[in-house]
Amino acid sequence: MSLLEFATWLQSTPFSVAIQSASWVVPTLQSLHILMIGVVFVSILMIALRVLGRVRMDESVPQVWARFSPFLWTGLVVMALTGVLLVISEPVREFMTLSFRLKMLLLAIGVTSAILFARSVRGAVKAGGQAQFPLRTRIAAVATVLLWLAVIFLGRAIAYDDVVWGEWSPAVLAGADST
Amino acid sequence: MNPPAFIQTIEGSGIGEWMRGSLLAMPWVNAIHVLCVAMVFGSILVVDLRLLGVLDRARAVTRVSHEMLWLTWTAFAGAALTGALYFAANATTYWFNTAFRFKMLAILLAGINMLLFQFGTWRGVAAWDRGASPRAARLAGGLSLAIWICVIVLGRVIGFTKGYDVPVPEDLDFDFSGG
Repeated sequence: MSLLEFATWLQSTPFSVAIQSASWVVPTLQSLHILMIGVVFVSILMIALRVLGRVRMDESVPQVWARFSPFLWTGLVVMALTGVLLVISEPVREFMTLSFRLKMLLLAIGVTSAILFARSVRGAVKAGGQAQFPLRTRIAAVATVLLWLAVIFLGRAIAYDDVVWGEWSPAVLAGADST
Repeated sequence: MNPPAFIQTIEGSGIGEWMRGSLLAMPWVNAIHVLCVAMVFGSILVVDLRLLGVLDRARAVTRVSHEMLWLTWTAFAGAALTGALYFAANATTYWFNTAFRFKMLAILLAGINMLLFQFGTWRGVAAWDRGASPRAARLAGGLSLAIWICVIVLGRVIGFTKGYDVPVPEDLDFDFSGG
Protein backbone atom coordinates (compact mmCIF):
# COMPACT_ATOMS: atom_id res chain seq x y z
CA MET A 1 0.00 0.00 0.00
CA SER A 2 1.51 3.31 -1.06
CA LEU A 3 1.33 6.42 1.09
CA LEU A 4 -1.20 7.88 -1.31
CA GLU A 5 -3.39 4.76 -1.11
CA PHE A 6 -3.20 4.86 2.67
CA ALA A 7 -4.13 8.56 2.69
CA THR A 8 -7.04 7.93 0.33
CA TRP A 9 -8.27 5.06 2.54
CA LEU A 10 -7.91 7.19 5.70
CA GLN A 11 -9.85 10.01 4.08
CA SER A 12 -12.75 7.62 3.35
CA THR A 13 -13.03 6.26 6.93
CA PRO A 14 -16.23 7.26 8.81
CA PHE A 15 -14.19 9.20 11.40
CA SER A 16 -12.48 11.33 8.73
CA VAL A 17 -15.78 11.91 6.95
CA ALA A 18 -17.39 12.97 10.25
CA ILE A 19 -14.65 15.61 10.83
CA GLN A 20 -14.99 16.86 7.26
CA SER A 21 -18.78 17.12 7.30
CA ALA A 22 -19.25 19.17 10.48
CA SER A 23 -18.25 22.60 9.20
CA TRP A 24 -17.27 24.02 12.61
CA VAL A 25 -14.79 21.27 13.54
CA VAL A 26 -11.84 22.12 11.26
CA PRO A 27 -11.85 25.90 11.99
CA THR A 28 -12.05 25.14 15.73
CA LEU A 29 -9.15 22.67 15.54
CA GLN A 30 -7.09 25.15 13.51
CA SER A 31 -7.81 27.99 15.96
CA LEU A 32 -6.68 25.82 18.89
CA HIS A 33 -3.61 24.78 16.90
CA ILE A 34 -2.66 28.45 16.26
CA LEU A 35 -3.30 29.48 19.89
CA MET A 36 -0.96 26.70 21.01
CA ILE A 37 1.69 27.77 18.48
CA GLY A 38 1.73 31.10 20.34
CA VAL A 39 1.98 29.44 23.75
CA VAL A 40 4.69 26.94 22.74
CA PHE A 41 6.79 29.33 20.66
CA VAL A 42 6.82 32.08 23.30
CA SER A 43 7.68 29.52 26.00
CA ILE A 44 10.62 28.26 23.93
CA LEU A 45 11.67 31.83 23.18
CA MET A 46 11.64 32.79 26.87
CA ILE A 47 13.68 29.74 27.89
CA ALA A 48 16.16 30.38 25.06
CA LEU A 49 16.45 34.09 25.91
CA ARG A 50 17.09 33.18 29.56
CA VAL A 51 19.88 30.80 28.51
CA LEU A 52 21.31 33.68 26.45
CA GLY A 53 21.03 35.94 29.51
CA ARG A 54 18.51 38.39 27.98
CA VAL A 55 15.39 38.00 30.16
CA ARG A 56 14.39 36.92 33.69
CA MET A 57 17.91 37.23 35.07
CA ASP A 58 16.36 37.51 38.56
CA GLU A 59 15.40 33.83 38.20
CA SER A 60 17.59 30.76 37.70
CA VAL A 61 17.24 28.71 34.51
CA PRO A 62 15.54 25.84 36.41
CA GLN A 63 13.02 28.39 37.76
CA VAL A 64 12.35 29.74 34.27
CA TRP A 65 12.09 26.16 33.01
CA ALA A 66 9.59 25.36 35.78
CA ARG A 67 7.55 28.45 34.85
CA PHE A 68 7.33 27.74 31.10
CA SER A 69 7.75 24.00 30.63
CA PRO A 70 4.15 23.11 31.71
CA PHE A 71 2.96 25.48 28.95
CA LEU A 72 5.45 23.94 26.55
CA TRP A 73 4.35 20.33 27.20
CA THR A 74 0.62 21.11 27.42
CA GLY A 75 0.83 23.18 24.24
CA LEU A 76 2.71 20.42 22.43
CA VAL A 77 0.16 17.79 23.46
CA VAL A 78 -2.80 19.96 22.35
CA MET A 79 -0.99 20.79 19.09
CA ALA A 80 -0.30 17.11 18.46
CA LEU A 81 -3.94 16.14 19.15
CA THR A 82 -5.45 18.91 17.00
CA GLY A 83 -2.78 18.28 14.37
CA VAL A 84 -3.55 14.56 14.17
CA LEU A 85 -7.28 15.28 13.83
CA LEU A 86 -6.58 17.85 11.10
CA VAL A 87 -4.43 15.32 9.24
CA ILE A 88 -7.18 12.69 9.52
CA SER A 89 -9.66 15.19 8.06
CA GLU A 90 -7.63 15.63 4.87
CA PRO A 91 -4.71 13.16 4.76
CA VAL A 92 -4.17 13.32 0.99
CA ARG A 93 -3.68 17.09 1.07
CA GLU A 94 -1.21 16.73 3.99
CA PHE A 95 0.80 13.63 3.09
CA MET A 96 1.28 14.63 -0.52
CA THR A 97 3.20 17.79 0.33
CA LEU A 98 6.92 18.22 0.90
CA SER A 99 6.14 20.90 3.50
CA PHE A 100 4.25 18.41 5.70
CA ARG A 101 6.96 15.74 5.43
CA LEU A 102 9.73 18.22 6.28
CA LYS A 103 7.61 19.60 9.12
CA MET A 104 7.28 16.13 10.68
CA LEU A 105 11.03 15.60 10.37
CA LEU A 106 11.88 18.92 12.04
CA LEU A 107 9.19 18.31 14.66
CA ALA A 108 10.88 15.04 15.65
CA ILE A 109 14.21 16.87 16.00
CA GLY A 110 12.56 19.75 17.90
CA VAL A 111 10.81 17.54 20.44
CA THR A 112 13.93 15.44 20.95
CA SER A 113 16.02 18.55 21.60
CA ALA A 114 13.41 19.85 24.08
CA ILE A 115 13.57 16.54 25.99
CA LEU A 116 17.39 16.61 25.97
CA PHE A 117 17.34 20.20 27.20
CA ALA A 118 14.92 19.28 30.01
CA ARG A 119 17.33 16.54 31.04
CA SER A 120 20.32 18.89 31.08
CA VAL A 121 18.36 21.40 33.20
CA ARG A 122 17.60 18.65 35.73
CA GLY A 123 21.29 17.79 35.71
CA ALA A 124 22.14 21.44 36.36
CA VAL A 125 19.73 21.57 39.32
CA LYS A 126 21.45 18.55 40.88
CA ALA A 127 24.84 20.16 40.30
CA GLY A 128 23.61 23.27 42.16
CA GLY A 129 22.92 25.65 39.29
CA GLN A 130 25.31 27.25 36.85
CA ALA A 131 26.74 30.72 36.32
CA GLN A 132 27.45 30.97 32.61
CA PHE A 133 26.36 28.65 29.85
CA PRO A 134 28.96 27.19 27.50
CA LEU A 135 28.89 28.41 23.91
CA ARG A 136 27.39 25.18 22.59
CA THR A 137 24.37 25.51 24.94
CA ARG A 138 23.79 29.07 23.75
CA ILE A 139 24.08 28.02 20.10
CA ALA A 140 21.62 25.19 20.83
CA ALA A 141 19.17 27.76 22.28
CA VAL A 142 19.28 29.88 19.11
CA ALA A 143 19.08 26.78 16.90
CA THR A 144 15.99 25.55 18.76
CA VAL A 145 14.17 28.86 18.19
CA LEU A 146 15.08 28.79 14.47
CA LEU A 147 14.00 25.15 14.24
CA TRP A 148 10.53 25.93 15.62
CA LEU A 149 10.24 28.95 13.32
CA ALA A 150 10.85 26.58 10.42
CA VAL A 151 8.21 24.17 11.77
CA ILE A 152 5.65 27.01 11.93
CA PHE A 153 6.50 28.23 8.42
CA LEU A 154 6.32 24.72 6.98
CA GLY A 155 2.91 24.28 8.59
CA ARG A 156 1.60 27.26 6.68
CA ALA A 157 3.42 26.23 3.51
CA ILE A 158 1.36 22.99 3.30
CA ALA A 159 -1.44 25.05 1.75
CA TYR A 160 0.97 26.46 -0.88
CA ASP A 161 3.19 23.43 -1.40
CA ASP A 162 3.25 23.54 -5.22
CA VAL A 163 4.09 27.26 -5.21
CA VAL A 164 6.78 27.02 -2.52
CA TRP A 165 8.54 23.85 -3.73
CA GLY A 166 7.63 23.71 -7.40
CA GLU A 167 8.76 20.43 -8.92
CA TRP A 168 9.86 19.11 -5.52
CA SER A 169 6.27 19.03 -4.32
CA PRO A 170 4.97 15.40 -4.33
CA ALA A 171 1.60 16.70 -5.49
CA VAL A 172 3.20 18.26 -8.57
CA LEU A 173 5.33 15.13 -9.11
CA ALA A 174 2.25 12.87 -8.94
CA GLY A 175 0.50 15.18 -11.36
CA ALA A 176 3.48 15.07 -13.73
CA ASP A 177 3.56 11.25 -13.61
CA SER A 178 0.03 10.94 -14.87
CA THR A 179 0.56 13.00 -17.99
CA MET B 1 -23.83 46.45 -3.48
CA ASN B 2 -20.61 48.32 -4.11
CA PRO B 3 -17.85 48.78 -1.53
CA PRO B 4 -16.73 52.34 -0.67
CA ALA B 5 -14.39 53.97 -3.18
CA PHE B 6 -11.34 53.80 -0.89
CA ILE B 7 -11.73 50.03 -0.60
CA GLN B 8 -11.69 49.75 -4.38
CA THR B 9 -8.68 52.08 -4.48
CA ILE B 10 -6.80 49.84 -2.03
CA GLU B 11 -7.59 46.74 -4.03
CA GLY B 12 -6.55 48.45 -7.27
CA SER B 13 -3.30 49.78 -5.78
CA GLY B 14 0.14 48.56 -6.78
CA ILE B 15 0.49 46.69 -3.50
CA GLY B 16 -2.80 44.87 -4.03
CA GLU B 17 -1.76 43.99 -7.54
CA TRP B 18 1.65 42.77 -6.39
CA MET B 19 0.07 40.57 -3.70
CA ARG B 20 -2.27 38.99 -6.24
CA GLY B 21 0.38 38.61 -8.89
CA SER B 22 3.32 37.30 -6.89
CA LEU B 23 3.04 33.59 -6.22
CA LEU B 24 5.44 33.61 -3.28
CA ALA B 25 4.02 36.73 -1.57
CA MET B 26 0.92 34.88 -0.34
CA PRO B 27 2.61 31.99 1.50
CA TRP B 28 5.22 34.26 3.12
CA VAL B 29 2.78 36.96 4.17
CA ASN B 30 0.39 34.28 5.41
CA ALA B 31 3.06 32.46 7.43
CA ILE B 32 4.40 35.67 9.01
CA HIS B 33 0.84 36.76 9.85
CA VAL B 34 0.05 33.49 11.66
CA LEU B 35 3.38 33.53 13.49
CA CYS B 36 2.92 37.16 14.60
CA VAL B 37 -0.70 36.72 15.70
CA ALA B 38 0.27 33.61 17.66
CA MET B 39 3.13 35.53 19.31
CA VAL B 40 0.83 38.39 20.28
CA PHE B 41 -1.33 35.84 22.08
CA GLY B 42 1.58 33.89 23.60
CA SER B 43 3.32 36.99 24.96
CA ILE B 44 0.21 38.79 26.21
CA LEU B 45 -0.77 35.54 27.95
CA VAL B 46 2.29 35.87 30.22
CA VAL B 47 1.30 39.43 31.23
CA ASP B 48 -2.38 38.54 31.63
CA LEU B 49 -1.63 35.53 33.84
CA ARG B 50 0.45 37.80 36.07
CA LEU B 51 -2.36 40.37 36.24
CA LEU B 52 -4.80 37.57 37.09
CA GLY B 53 -2.42 36.44 39.82
CA VAL B 54 -2.12 32.92 38.39
CA LEU B 55 1.65 32.89 37.78
CA ASP B 56 4.79 34.92 38.47
CA ARG B 57 3.24 36.27 41.67
CA ALA B 58 6.69 36.73 43.23
CA ARG B 59 7.73 39.03 40.39
CA ALA B 60 6.78 42.69 39.95
CA VAL B 61 3.96 43.36 37.47
CA THR B 62 6.00 46.19 35.94
CA ARG B 63 8.92 43.86 35.38
CA VAL B 64 6.83 41.11 33.78
CA SER B 65 5.05 43.53 31.44
CA HIS B 66 8.26 45.35 30.55
CA GLU B 67 9.83 41.99 29.66
CA MET B 68 6.96 40.85 27.47
CA LEU B 69 5.45 43.93 25.84
CA TRP B 70 8.30 44.64 23.41
CA LEU B 71 7.57 41.20 22.01
CA THR B 72 3.82 41.82 21.94
CA TRP B 73 4.24 45.15 20.12
CA THR B 74 6.79 43.82 17.63
CA ALA B 75 4.52 40.86 16.86
CA PHE B 76 1.48 43.14 16.63
CA ALA B 77 3.27 45.44 14.17
CA GLY B 78 4.21 42.41 12.07
CA ALA B 79 0.64 41.08 12.18
CA ALA B 80 -0.83 44.48 11.25
CA LEU B 81 1.57 44.94 8.36
CA THR B 82 1.05 41.47 6.90
CA GLY B 83 -2.69 41.78 7.58
CA ALA B 84 -2.77 45.05 5.62
CA LEU B 85 -0.96 43.36 2.71
CA TYR B 86 -3.50 40.57 2.82
CA PHE B 87 -6.36 43.06 2.92
CA ALA B 88 -4.97 44.99 -0.06
CA ALA B 89 -5.00 41.86 -2.23
CA ASN B 90 -8.77 41.34 -1.83
CA ALA B 91 -10.06 44.48 -0.09
CA THR B 92 -13.63 44.29 -1.42
CA THR B 93 -14.01 40.62 -0.43
CA TYR B 94 -12.82 41.33 3.11
CA TRP B 95 -14.94 44.46 3.37
CA PHE B 96 -18.13 42.42 2.94
CA ASN B 97 -16.98 39.50 5.10
CA THR B 98 -18.80 39.39 8.46
CA ALA B 99 -16.03 37.51 10.27
CA PHE B 100 -13.52 40.12 9.07
CA ARG B 101 -15.69 42.94 10.46
CA PHE B 102 -16.02 41.19 13.81
CA LYS B 103 -12.26 40.58 13.89
CA MET B 104 -11.57 44.29 13.37
CA LEU B 105 -14.15 45.09 16.06
CA ALA B 106 -12.44 42.66 18.44
CA ILE B 107 -9.02 44.28 17.80
CA LEU B 108 -10.63 47.69 18.48
CA LEU B 109 -12.04 46.35 21.77
CA ALA B 110 -8.60 44.99 22.70
CA GLY B 111 -7.20 48.47 22.06
CA ILE B 112 -9.87 50.18 24.19
CA ASN B 113 -9.31 47.64 26.99
CA MET B 114 -5.57 48.36 26.84
CA LEU B 115 -6.00 52.16 26.81
CA LEU B 116 -8.43 52.12 29.77
CA PHE B 117 -5.94 49.93 31.65
CA GLN B 118 -2.91 52.01 30.65
CA PHE B 119 -4.37 55.41 31.54
CA GLY B 120 -6.51 54.27 34.46
CA THR B 121 -5.58 51.24 36.54
CA TRP B 122 -1.86 51.26 35.59
CA ARG B 123 -1.33 54.74 37.14
CA GLY B 124 -1.59 53.27 40.60
CA VAL B 125 0.59 50.24 39.82
CA ALA B 126 3.18 51.22 42.43
CA ALA B 127 0.68 50.24 45.13
CA TRP B 128 0.12 46.71 43.79
CA ASP B 129 3.28 46.03 41.78
CA ARG B 130 4.40 43.20 44.06
CA GLY B 131 1.14 41.98 45.50
CA ALA B 132 -2.23 40.81 44.23
CA SER B 133 -3.68 42.94 41.45
CA PRO B 134 -6.81 45.03 42.08
CA ARG B 135 -10.07 43.85 40.54
CA ALA B 136 -9.81 46.34 37.63
CA ALA B 137 -6.41 44.91 36.65
CA ARG B 138 -7.66 41.32 36.87
CA LEU B 139 -10.64 42.27 34.73
CA ALA B 140 -8.36 43.88 32.11
CA GLY B 141 -6.18 40.74 32.06
CA GLY B 142 -9.16 38.40 31.66
CA LEU B 143 -10.76 40.55 28.96
CA SER B 144 -7.47 40.76 27.07
CA LEU B 145 -7.19 36.96 26.98
CA ALA B 146 -10.80 36.45 25.90
CA ILE B 147 -10.59 39.12 23.17
CA TRP B 148 -7.34 37.81 21.67
CA ILE B 149 -8.74 34.27 21.54
CA CYS B 150 -11.74 35.72 19.65
CA VAL B 151 -9.39 37.55 17.24
CA ILE B 152 -7.61 34.29 16.37
CA VAL B 153 -10.83 32.29 15.99
CA LEU B 154 -12.40 35.01 13.81
CA GLY B 155 -9.25 35.17 11.70
CA ARG B 156 -9.62 31.46 10.99
CA VAL B 157 -13.33 31.85 10.23
CA ILE B 158 -12.50 34.48 7.57
CA GLY B 159 -10.53 31.83 5.70
CA PHE B 160 -13.60 29.60 5.52
CA THR B 161 -16.18 32.26 4.67
CA LYS B 162 -14.53 34.39 1.99
CA GLY B 163 -13.98 33.54 -1.67
CA TYR B 164 -10.77 32.14 -3.06
CA ASP B 165 -7.69 34.33 -2.76
CA VAL B 166 -6.48 33.61 -6.24
CA PRO B 167 -8.11 31.89 -9.18
CA VAL B 168 -6.84 28.31 -9.38
CA PRO B 169 -4.67 27.96 -12.48
CA GLU B 170 -6.28 25.58 -14.92
CA ASP B 171 -3.07 23.82 -15.84
CA LEU B 172 -2.46 22.78 -12.21
CA ASP B 173 -2.86 19.00 -12.22
CA PHE B 174 -3.84 17.48 -8.88
CA ASP B 175 -5.03 14.20 -10.34
CA PHE B 176 -3.32 11.50 -8.29
CA SER B 177 -5.05 8.58 -9.94
CA GLY B 178 -2.24 7.95 -12.42
CA GLY B 179 0.54 8.21 -9.82
